Amino acid sequence: MILKTNSWLHQFGILGMNRRNAEYIMRLNPRSSFPLVDDKLMTKRLAKAHQIPTPSLYHVIEYHGDLGGLEEMLSDHQDFVIKPARGAGGSGILLIKSHERSSFFKPSGEALSWTDLTYHIFDILSGVYSLEGLEDRTLIEAFVHPDPIFAAVTYYGVPDIRIIVYRGVPVMGMVRLPTQESDGKANLHQGAIGVGVNIKDGTTSTAVHHSGIITHHPDTDHLLSDIQVPYWKEMLHIAARTFDMTGLGYLGVDMVIDRERGPLLLELNARPGLQIQIANQAGLLRRLELIDKASAEIFPTPETRVEWALKTFAP
Amino acid sequence: MKRPAVLLAVALLLLSLTLICYRIIWLKYPIFPAAPEKVWHLSIDAYVKGGEKETTVMIGVPYTHKGQTVADERIRSGTLSFNLLREGLNQIGVWAGILGLEGETIGYSSTIRVQPQRPSKTKSPTLEPYPPNVDKEEQALAKRLVGRWLSLRPEDRLRRVAAAVKGIWGTPPSDEQDLRAWSSFQEKHGRVTTFLVLLRAVHLPARVVQGLQLAESIANSTLTWIEIWTGQEWESLHPEKGEIYQKPVPLLPLTTNGLPAVRVTDGELSEVRWTLTRGIINQWRIHFERIMRSDRLLDRWSLFRLPEEFQRTFRILILVPIGAFMICLLRNMVGFPTFGIFMPVLMAIAFRNTGLLYGLGIFAGVVLIGYIVRRWINKLRLLLVPRLSVILTLVIISFMVFALIGNKLGLRELMAVGLLPIVILTMTIERFFVITEEAGAREGFWTAAGSAAVATITHEIIHFEPLQLTFFVYPELLFAVAAVQVLLGRYTGYRLSELIRFRKLKGTS
Repeated sequence: MILKTNSWLHQFGILGMNRRNAEYIMRLNPRSSFPLVDDKLMTKRLAKAHQIPTPSLYHVIEYHGDLGGLEEMLSDHQDFVIKPARGAGGSGILLIKSHERSSFFKPSGEALSWTDLTYHIFDILSGVYSLEGLEDRTLIEAFVHPDPIFAAVTYYGVPDIRIIVYRGVPVMGMVRLPTQESDGKANLHQGAIGVGVNIKDGTTSTAVHHSGIITHHPDTDHLLSDIQVPYWKEMLHIAARTFDMTGLGYLGVDMVIDRERGPLLLELNARPGLQIQIANQAGLLRRLELIDKASAEIFPTPETRVEWALKTFAP
Repeated sequence: MKRPAVLLAVALLLLSLTLICYRIIWLKYPIFPAAPEKVWHLSIDAYVKGGEKETTVMIGVPYTHKGQTVADERIRSGTLSFNLLREGLNQIGVWAGILGLEGETIGYSSTIRVQPQRPSKTKSPTLEPYPPNVDKEEQALAKRLVGRWLSLRPEDRLRRVAAAVKGIWGTPPSDEQDLRAWSSFQEKHGRVTTFLVLLRAVHLPARVVQGLQLAESIANSTLTWIEIWTGQEWESLHPEKGEIYQKPVPLLPLTTNGLPAVRVTDGELSEVRWTLTRGIINQWRIHFERIMRSDRLLDRWSLFRLPEEFQRTFRILILVPIGAFMICLLRNMVGFPTFGIFMPVLMAIAFRNTGLLYGLGIFAGVVLIGYIVRRWINKLRLLLVPRLSVILTLVIISFMVFALIGNKLGLRELMAVGLLPIVILTMTIERFFVITEEAGAREGFWTAAGSAAVATITHEIIHFEPLQLTFFVYPELLFAVAAVQVLLGRYTGYRLSELIRFRKLKGTS
C-alpha cells in the first residue's frame, strides 16, 4: 500500500518536501541571496531597479520613536498597509482601510486607536513577527484595491497569485483566495483557498482548501473554476524576470492585481510550498524535469522562457 | 549529485568498522560487550582462635593476571589488621593481630572472571632442583627409569610420565629391580613428589598448585594439582588420577610453587570454607578493569579512563546522536512535526532525573500553564525578549510549585527537575502558542504529541544500558551513526505524510 502510493506519486511527478529542499532549493538558491527575498524592503528596491511594479512604498520606520514621518504620511493617504519587512507567512500585516482623527479602521470595520497602531509598529520593530526574532523594519505601503474579477470568490482581504518559477521558467500558478477562516489573509495554511491556474490561458481549475479538494468558495458559495485571471501573460513575464533579478533558481512569486495599476509584485519566497500541486492536480517534478531536459535556447530571455512554458505546460 | 555524500557515508562506515575490527582482533575486545558474562563469586570464610602472641593468618587469594580478572574484592578482618602481600607468583592475604579468647571470623570475597586461555608468551621457566627430601640415590633411580624419554617432545614426555606413575612403563621394559625400588619410593613419598621427581628427571619444569575446582561448591580444603611447562604453556595434571586436564582447565589457582593455601602462626584455624558461586557481574566493571590494565593507545584514550562522575554523563551523551537520528527519521521520512529541531532530544535528557512518566507530566503541566498565561499575556503586547523572560519566570515558579507539592506528597521525582529544561520549556511554550495561533489547535496538539513521542523514544534509547555499554566500549560507532545521518540527509523520496497528503490526487487522474 505504502509502496504503491509511493511509486504512483513518483509516476505522477509529485515533488516531495525532501526532494524540493535537497535537489532544488539547496542546489539552486544560494544562501547569500536569501536576504533579497526574506526582506521585503530589499525585494521592493530590487524590483524597482528592474522596472517591476510593486505597491507604492509610503514610508519606512526603522527605529523606535521614529514616528515623525508617520503623521505626515497619514495626511497624504487615506488607506495603507503596515507590514514587517521580514515577516513570515503573512504575519504582522495590518490593513487600514480608512482613518479619521485618531481612529483607524480595518477592512472588517474594527476600529484601532493611535496607541494600538503605534504598538503594532513597535512590535514589528522589536521582531515579534520576524521568525528569527531579530529586530525588524516597518513598511507602510499602498493599500491594494483588488481587481473585481475575484470579488465573488473573496470574503474580504486581497487575493494574490502565486507562480512557481524554476530557472526563470514559470512552472505552475495558483490564485490564493482569503476566507473568513484565514481572516482575509492569502495564506493556505491559515485556511485560504488555493485555486489552480492553467498556465496556457490563465483560467482557474480545481481548488484546494486545507488539503481537501473543493469546487465552491466556503463563504460566498461561488464556483471557483473557469475564472479568467486578468493580465495572465504579463504576470508570467514578471515572474520570469524575478529570476534575472535575484539569481534564485527556485522561487515562489507572489503578485496582486490592483484595480488601477494592474499586476504588482508583492513578495518572493525562496521556499514555496507544495500545496500548489493539489490545486493544479499536477506534479511539479514532471515539469521541473522537462525544464532540465530543455535545450539551452529557451533560457536566454524572460520572453523565450515564457513562450516555451506556454507551449509546453498545457494541462 | 549524490555521490560525495554516499562516499562520505561509506568512508565513515569503513572508519568505524576498521576501528571496531582492530579492537576485536588485536585488542581482544568482546564482539558483544553487553552480552551478559558469567563470573565466579569466591568467598573464603574462616574462624581463627589465637594464642597469647600475635596471630598471623596467610591465605592465598586470586589476583588479576592474564587469563583472569578479579574485581570487587572485599575483606572482613574484624579487629585484625589486613594486608595484601606478593610472594612470587602468589598473592597472599595476611590477617594479623592479637586475638583474645573469643576468636575472630575473617573473610575474603571477590568476583572472578576467567577468560579463555590465550597462548601465553611468558618465557620458559627454569628447571628447579629436585625436591629436598629426595636423596641422591633416589634421584639416580628416577634418571635411570625415565632417562630414555629425554629425546621425546615435551608433550610426549609428560604423557609417558603420567602413564608411568599409574604403573605403565611401556617398552622396552625397565629393570625389574628398579621398578620394585620405585614402587617403595612411591609409597614413601606419595603421588605428588613422585610426579615432581619423574618430571624433573625428564627435564620438564613443574610446580605444585593449590586451588579450587571451578564449580558451584563449598569446600573445606583446597585441591592440589601439578602444573607442567611443555614449552608453550602450562598443562595441569591431577596427581591422584594421573590425568591431564582438558583445556579450558576448570581450576582456580590460589597459590603456586608449592606454597600452602593457608598458613597460620600462633593460632588455630577452624572451619575454613571456600565457596564458589556463579553470577553475572557489572559489565562496566569488567571493561573498566580490562582497559585500565592495557597500555595500548586506544585503551589509554578510552572513555573508561575518565573519572567515574564524568563517565556517567558520557554514557548518556554518547547515545544522544541516535536520538537526533530518530528525529531526522521522524521529520524527513515520516513527516511528523516536532517543536524545534532537537527540543525532544533535550527533553529526553532532562527526563533523566525525573523519569519518563513524571518528566512528560511535568512538561505537559508546565506547557499547559504556560500556554494559558501566554494567551493572556498576548493582550498586554509585550515585546519579544521581555515576554520570553516573563514566561521563563513563570516556568521557574511552576517548577518551585511542583517541587513543593512533590515534597508534601513525598514524590522525589517532582523535585528532581534540573536546570536544563527551563529554556526548552520557555521556547516550547512560545512555539506551542505560535503554532496554535497560526495553524490551529489541531496542529498544536499534533506537534506536541510528536515531540512527546520522540522524547519518549529517545529517552528509552539513551537509557538502554546494553546500548550505552556497546557505544562506550566502541565509541567509533558514532561514525557509523553519522554515516547513516549523512545518507538520510540525501534522502529525497517522499515523506509518509506526503503519501497521505497527495493521495487525493489519485482519484482525479
